[in-house]
Amino acid sequence: MAFPGTGFVRTVAAVMLAAALTGGHAAAGSPKGTLTYSWTSNVGPLDPHRYSPNQMFAQAMVYEPLVRYREGGVIEPWLATAWTVSPDGRTYDFTLREGVVFSDGTPFDAAAVKANFDVLLADRAKHEWLELVAQIRSVEVLDAAKVRLTLKDPYYPTLLELALIRPVRFAAPSVLTADGVRAPVGTGPWMLAETKRGEYDLFTRNPSYWGPKPAYERIVVKVIPDPTSRAVAFETGEIDLIYGGTGQISADSFTRFRTRGIGQTAVSAPLATRTLAINSGRAPTSDPAVRKAINHAVNKDAIAAKLLYGLEPRADTLFAPNFPYTDLGLTPYGYDPARAARLLDEAGWTLPPGGTVRVRGGQPLRVELCFIGNDAREKAIAEAVQANLKAIGIDAVLVGEEENAVEARQKDGRFGLIFGDTWGAPYDPHSFVSSMRVASHADYQAQRGLPMKAEIDARIGAVLVTTDEAERQALYRDILTTLHEQAVYLPLSYLTAMAVSRGVDGVGFGASAYEIPFGAMRPAP
Amino acid sequence: MLRFIAGRLLTLPPLLLAVSAGVFLLLRLGRGDPALDYLRLSNIPPTDAAVAAAQRLLGLDRPLAEQYLSWLWQALHLDFGLSYVTRRPVLDDLLYYLPATLQLGAAALAVTLAVSLPLGMWAARHRDRLPDHLVRALAFVGVSIPNFWLGFLLVLLFAVTLNWLPPLGRGGWSHMVMPVAAVALMSLCINARLLRASMLETAGQRHVLYARLRGLPERRIVHSHILRNALLPIVTATGMHIGELLGGTLVIENIFGWPGVGRYAVSAIYNRDYPVLQCFTLLMTVIFVTCNLAVDLLYAWLDPRIRPGREAAR
Repeated sequence: MAFPGTGFVRTVAAVMLAAALTGGHAAAGSPKGTLTYSWTSNVGPLDPHRYSPNQMFAQAMVYEPLVRYREGGVIEPWLATAWTVSPDGRTYDFTLREGVVFSDGTPFDAAAVKANFDVLLADRAKHEWLELVAQIRSVEVLDAAKVRLTLKDPYYPTLLELALIRPVRFAAPSVLTADGVRAPVGTGPWMLAETKRGEYDLFTRNPSYWGPKPAYERIVVKVIPDPTSRAVAFETGEIDLIYGGTGQISADSFTRFRTRGIGQTAVSAPLATRTLAINSGRAPTSDPAVRKAINHAVNKDAIAAKLLYGLEPRADTLFAPNFPYTDLGLTPYGYDPARAARLLDEAGWTLPPGGTVRVRGGQPLRVELCFIGNDAREKAIAEAVQANLKAIGIDAVLVGEEENAVEARQKDGRFGLIFGDTWGAPYDPHSFVSSMRVASHADYQAQRGLPMKAEIDARIGAVLVTTDEAERQALYRDILTTLHEQAVYLPLSYLTAMAVSRGVDGVGFGASAYEIPFGAMRPAP
Repeated sequence: MLRFIAGRLLTLPPLLLAVSAGVFLLLRLGRGDPALDYLRLSNIPPTDAAVAAAQRLLGLDRPLAEQYLSWLWQALHLDFGLSYVTRRPVLDDLLYYLPATLQLGAAALAVTLAVSLPLGMWAARHRDRLPDHLVRALAFVGVSIPNFWLGFLLVLLFAVTLNWLPPLGRGGWSHMVMPVAAVALMSLCINARLLRASMLETAGQRHVLYARLRGLPERRIVHSHILRNALLPIVTATGMHIGELLGGTLVIENIFGWPGVGRYAVSAIYNRDYPVLQCFTLLMTVIFVTCNLAVDLLYAWLDPRIRPGREAAR
């Protein structure tokens, strides 16, 4: 039997090979003056007052706040150069920066500020999560460069919340409509020049920017949803910069880049806290001895070194000491399994002969440890915690579910231990503490069983509206000390951001996890 | 023939109705609330009030039946609603991304046919000799490698190590080589094996023997008597491969940052973006039905014995 074909096979193979070779792709690198970055999705229409699909880092490139948040909770002037607060803490008068124009040439003045507040306050329900929006009674134009903000209560975090990326930033009045902005026109250093759906967004420098001009002329943000593909894109020179948490780059890839010296790597200071909330409203964690024993039983150093690749420092308290009002010198719960066992013995949780799980009054010492099932890191940490607890006779049952189901558990308190991060700057500590009073938060659920819960909530209510700095410090000390002593949290590590760059100088970290300081970056010589 | 086509097309509307109701219910049977995902993507703490507001915004606060009927009514007017995540019209987004997926799928189909047919013929011609062993080994390996893993291997070799091909994005031909190879390999291997077996079987049949006895030239025997008959199962298989190839692109698009419907749909799954998933499923149903119809027509053209309408005429 003779079939034709061998020749044909050869031809096809040759054509395929030729196609592969002539496609020859030299390591790209960005054109001069362009920084190529990547993000999981397009940046959205960029409306300063709206949420998803607007991406926060990009909103911050185009729109600016009245004041800026700096490391340690320091507030510095931005579009407002000065402000005075009335003695009763209810009236804020802002003096606006002179000579600022929107990128379409219209001036930034008191009328523009008021127009933006009007749009915001017309839809208060949308911003219900932010206490400031609920607190605003009125916004008045005093003169072209002066604006007065009147509040219902003397709400102290007002300036902190004015510094947020959204929703209190300013678009040109010419583009404001009741249905959002017609086009992204802000006062910021960048303008959104082009969006190609699913492929990239292009930002160009705002020629009329009032502040220092960024060194880069253009920023291209490529859409790369998958962190592994992003790492490959960096390695092959398709992008110059990876910036952010584990959603942007996995610890594996980051460690590989760092050890092999591929590009420059950097890790930020603590930005938020990775913790487990311990449910005081449910047995057996309603027993303070059990919560303290759990805190002493977990070997955080081992978790930080082995599972977090040393990228996140060990956490001893709910908030890192680099946040406002949080450097309190609380005594950490050190890793001390013997002490944990002693605490449990004293509380009547004893090991039956030949058993591995402690029992009290016929009840085994068993807790549900809930985590996001497809989050490899949470799973690994949960397993390590489980092993640590097992060593002192606590049976931790692992419950791995999808993110949405875990959130539902946080809301209704169906957990023994559950993962939860604090919100980071500038929300920590005030917004986070504020949320502890709301029943739908893991924190409320975790604290529900504390005998002094009502007292804690009252102090939280007071700390947000006190105008006396010393009193505020004392209240925070009380709240955070009580929570620490009651051991309703198992702080594990402080979350950090990571950056990998090539050919870029000045890559640093901002005070907030959501803002990327592109302005300080410049092409390496 | 026209009646056959019309009849087949008439089954499409009830099928789409059934699929849409099924998908609608399945999505809502799963646990979890899209409002929570919306808040997560918006960085808004999920208080009860915030969840309720998000549910109102997304229209999830209404009874299930009402949600479905209003969706259906709008869908009949080709309005598939707004994506929960991008807040854009879903159909508009899907049609925007579809050409990229069709390009990838069509290229993969072309490569599958262009490579598998000669390989299968080559193997059959050299039965139990080296080429046959090679093809069978390749086929064995090919069907065993998951396409996403192959994708990463290709990237490691051709993008990271050799730096010959761009690792992601859509652009010139060079951007297509790796994703197409990753999508096509499995179908290609199945096809090659199938054609080999089919040709060997046909070659042993009596009409081929008679043709030989009649002294027909070998070339003609192969072309008219073996290949034409042996291709029939390949046509059927190709119809199935189209589904496989489109399914494969869903995964591959994510790895290669290919801006197609697959990537859009996968992120929609992750974010519980119900309107996108409902519209996507319908779109894929239409594509599948159309492809199957095309395959049946091709089949009829190749084999007059099964031509529709023939039976009635007989």
